Amino acid sequence: MPALDPLFVLCAACVILPLLAFGGIMIFTWRRPFLSLAVSLTASTACLLIAWYIFWQRWGDPTPLILNVDWMVSDLVRVPFGFLLDPVSQLMLVLVATISFLIQIYSIGYMWGDPGFGRYYADLSLFAMAMLGLVISSGLLQLFICWELVGLASYLLIGFWYEKFSASEAGKKAFVVTRFGDIFFFMGLAILVIFYGSLDIASINAAALAQKMEPWLITTCALLIFGGICGKSAQFPIHVWLPDAMEGPTPVSALLHSATMVAAGVYLLTRIFPFFAASAPAMTYVLAVASLTYVLSSTVGMVARDIKQVWAYSTISQLAMMAMGLAAAGLAHGTLFAGYFHLTTHAGFKALLFLCAGAFIHHYGTNSFFMMSKGGAKKLTIPMVTVTIGALALAGIFPFSGFFSKELILGNLWHLDNKLWVGIGLLGAFLTAYYTFRVIFVLLFPRPEDHPAWEKYYEPVAGGHGHGHGEEEEAHGHGHGGHGGDFPGHAPEWAINLPLIVLAGVTIILGFLQGTLERFLLGESHPHEMNYLLLVLAVGLALAGIGLAWWDWGRKGATWEGFLSKVPALENFFIQKWYMDHFWRWFLNAVIYNIFSKTFTYNDRRVVDGGVDAVALGCIGSGRFLSFLQTALLQLNLLFMVLVLAGVGIYLLMGR
Amino acid sequence: MAAFNQLNTYLYLAVILFCLGLYGVLSRRNLIAVLISVELMLNAASINFMAFNRFLAPHPAVGQIVALFIMAVAAAEAAIALSIIVALYRKLKSINIEQANELRG
Repeated sequence: MPALDPLFVLCAACVILPLLAFGGIMIFTWRRPFLSLAVSLTASTACLLIAWYIFWQRWGDPTPLILNVDWMVSDLVRVPFGFLLDPVSQLMLVLVATISFLIQIYSIGYMWGDPGFGRYYADLSLFAMAMLGLVISSGLLQLFICWELVGLASYLLIGFWYEKFSASEAGKKAFVVTRFGDIFFFMGLAILVIFYGSLDIASINAAALAQKMEPWLITTCALLIFGGICGKSAQFPIHVWLPDAMEGPTPVSALLHSATMVAAGVYLLTRIFPFFAASAPAMTYVLAVASLTYVLSSTVGMVARDIKQVWAYSTISQLAMMAMGLAAAGLAHGTLFAGYFHLTTHAGFKALLFLCAGAFIHHYGTNSFFMMSKGGAKKLTIPMVTVTIGALALAGIFPFSGFFSKELILGNLWHLDNKLWVGIGLLGAFLTAYYTFRVIFVLLFPRPEDHPAWEKYYEPVAGGHGHGHGEEEEAHGHGHGGHGGDFPGHAPEWAINLPLIVLAGVTIILGFLQGTLERFLLGESHPHEMNYLLLVLAVGLALAGIGLAWWDWGRKGATWEGFLSKVPALENFFIQKWYMDHFWRWFLNAVIYNIFSKTFTYNDRRVVDGGVDAVALGCIGSGRFLSFLQTALLQLNLLFMVLVLAGVGIYLLMGR
Repeated sequence: MAAFNQLNTYLYLAVILFCLGLYGVLSRRNLIAVLISVELMLNAASINFMAFNRFLAPHPAVGQIVALFIMAVAAAEAAIALSIIVALYRKLKSINIEQANELRG
């Protein structure tokens, strides 16, 4: 075996260390919160350093570096195990390592006093391992394995407060729904292996670029793989798991929604972007699905009352926007930069938004931002300032990072012949600005005590809640009440505030690094011709959205009724989340349970069970019958045996 | 004595010993006696090996090694058989082979 490249060892360490932390905590230290924290933080810091080292080491070197060792070799199919280091994966590596590190810091404060502290950090480590492994895998099979591990870790984290029914249900839903998408992903991989013979990312991309693959193969596989992306990145119609996933602790939502889990889908799209781009039908389909998702999630975000729900729907919409950017680039022979850049900036500001939401939730013990406002949310200075920065980035206002990346995506959409797409993009930008600043203005400008709006939005802080609301009280009982056992004093404030400040800084700076990042990713920087019409349109619509939000929610005499309430039917449609949950419920009942489950149950009862029973009964019967041969005269049997042997012996020796 | 320098003498001895053992196994009702008879049969086999080794084999030690193996196997077999007999005795309060007829159909 040749000497291993030191980079290979580093990459492997990056994946293995969090796994070791997970195993170590789960087996040895999960009862001891601070030891677990130390183990997990050590691993995560090591990953952070390694990621940045690799990033720095390979800065300015766009040639992909593939480090492989053979894993499985079977006749014609070789499955290597290894790492692919190119600018795309290196940037994502840094992103994932950084965000998961910051979230581990933040969680010290947020999860302080939780009885499952050790388990929580174990799960976070598993999550980091899976995601880091996914990012730097060199082959799609390895990527798929990590992909499933990400799903597993998210299941564990979403259902972290498993004693709550809704949380364990949400975990199950996330798991099953994403698995549903993964079936398609796996079928795509199988077809690729059968007809192309390799799952190596670099070779697939090269073959698609050189048009060595048949178009039908590319289209079929791209569509099937996009099924997996739909599940993971919460695109229509299997986005329904993501809003429910808010049942997990808020830092988990931040992790899930920024750099990991949901980003994995878009990352995969970027990873094999040349492959996707080789099929125009697939790209059109992606564009259509993403646009529909974009509109759907933006509109639902306008009526949600739970701050995490709003951010969740904004995540769906921003992911859809990334997919739109990539699809448009694929159709117009552009580069993957726009979508990928939005993925990067989004990771920063979405983590920031969620962590701020967590700070509010932690403080006020409710998820409804109306109730937070009533409690005086604007007195929490650091979270309030940072959440505003994040919201400005999300709405796409200069000079925050979201502005630059959104501008690029809209630019990509503009290049398409059909102007419908850019229209949807602009509409989405307007809605995004509106629902984002609805939250901000409500938090900033509470109504006076006797205002009628409080009646409408009142929610009891503790006790029986509707689905998806106020889910964190129970855990906070542990957090603020007894300070059970090992936790001295109150949760450290700095642990919550430090990541907020860092992420806010990133949000402000990242946009200006656009040129640098593009040079890094593509090896060259394209001068962007400024499209002033589009620029004015986009910023104007975003500002209009903010203005409308101000009129509805912010100004002194605002009634706190969205402009949507003029059209109750539409508003209700949005509040019911476009009846997607109802649709799936109906689909499950009518199709899955009534047709498939029934048939399979019948088959199981009558055919499988019946067959097994028949075999067993047959054995018993024949045993009864055969037992008549047993005379219980041992020596008589033996005598016959000897005689027969002797006879055979005599025949063999002399008979011939 | 020329008879002792011939292979046939030893083979006859082995056959006689084997038949005695076989008769014992087939006729005795006492399990311990059956076990002893089995030992006789094993010894007959040992004698065969030794005899062929002495008169036919090119290398002088092979048969002796096999004989040693047979002794070891016999010892192990005796231990197992005795433990089976003890277990049987605990269950049936007898070591008569005809009492062990639970499998009769």
